[in-house]
Amino acid sequence: MVEDHDFKVGVLSCNGIGRLVSTVVRRAGYKIKELRPDQVVLLSSGRLAVRETEHMRLLEKYPLLVIDGCRPHCATFMANELGKKPSASIYVADVMAENKINVAGEKRRGLTQKGHKLVDAVAEKAVSEIDRIIADEMLSTI
Amino acid sequence: MADKVCLQPCLGLRKESILCRQAFYVVHEDLRPDQTVLGCGPALNADVQEDIDFIEMYPVMAMEACDLDCATNLVAKKGKQAARTIRVPELAAELGIEVDALPEEHIDTEHPAVQAMAKRIAEFVDQMLSA
Repeated sequence: MVEDHDFKVGVLSCNGIGRLVSTVVRRAGYKIKELRPDQVVLLSSGRLAVRETEHMRLLEKYPLLVIDGCRPHCATFMANELGKKPSASIYVADVMAENKINVAGEKRRGLTQKGHKLVDAVAEKAVSEIDRIIADEMLSTI
Repeated sequence: MADKVCLQPCLGLRKESILCRQAFYVVHEDLRPDQTVLGCGPALNADVQEDIDFIEMYPVMAMEACDLDCATNLVAKKGKQAARTIRVPELAAELGIEVDALPEEHIDTEHPAVQAMAKRIAEFVDQMLSA
């Protein structure tokens, strides 16, 4: 029954520190949660890297959206390492190109309006994927 | 004797994690640019060579938002031991920082709490390099 199901999506963003995009991705994660508070579980890459029990349970329970900030695709790597196939993946460079956003001059320690434009674009793309994943889950269940 | 310290934050989602990452930016960019490197947890986990090199070449200061010690455990997962593990809640208490009163999601690097924490971390860096 639909009522027994808990339709949510786990969101794993890389949440790094080295690059400007780390800050974009981190802020996008919070924005995604704000936009879909009851449909999203934000997963901590730190806790998953060390296989913390509760986070592993959440990873296993819900379909996964990964958000990668830069070329090593660390969030995707982590999902693969933990044996979880993402239902969707977002690479921030793709979002930046699609939306023609320029972040030159932005700083990783704090974003200006330009950087937040990219945050919003990533969050919007993520929410679109989340809605699709949940629709797919729902229609495959009821 | 090492000439740099690898600052390894836990990079979780809590306010304590944000305080730590912002303080690390201040330490690395403003206070001790030549004496520190910034370790990125997800990149280390993904075996990015630069991050592997950081923990191999330099003593690691792991900074933890809670007692799960994710940064310390990640460094151990990659075969090294953190030279020092600092817990943000304890350091915040020592510095008189009320974490609950800090803004959500982002704390500006100019915030007194970030500045105080960065100053203290810089002192720890100096201690580690003179040991």
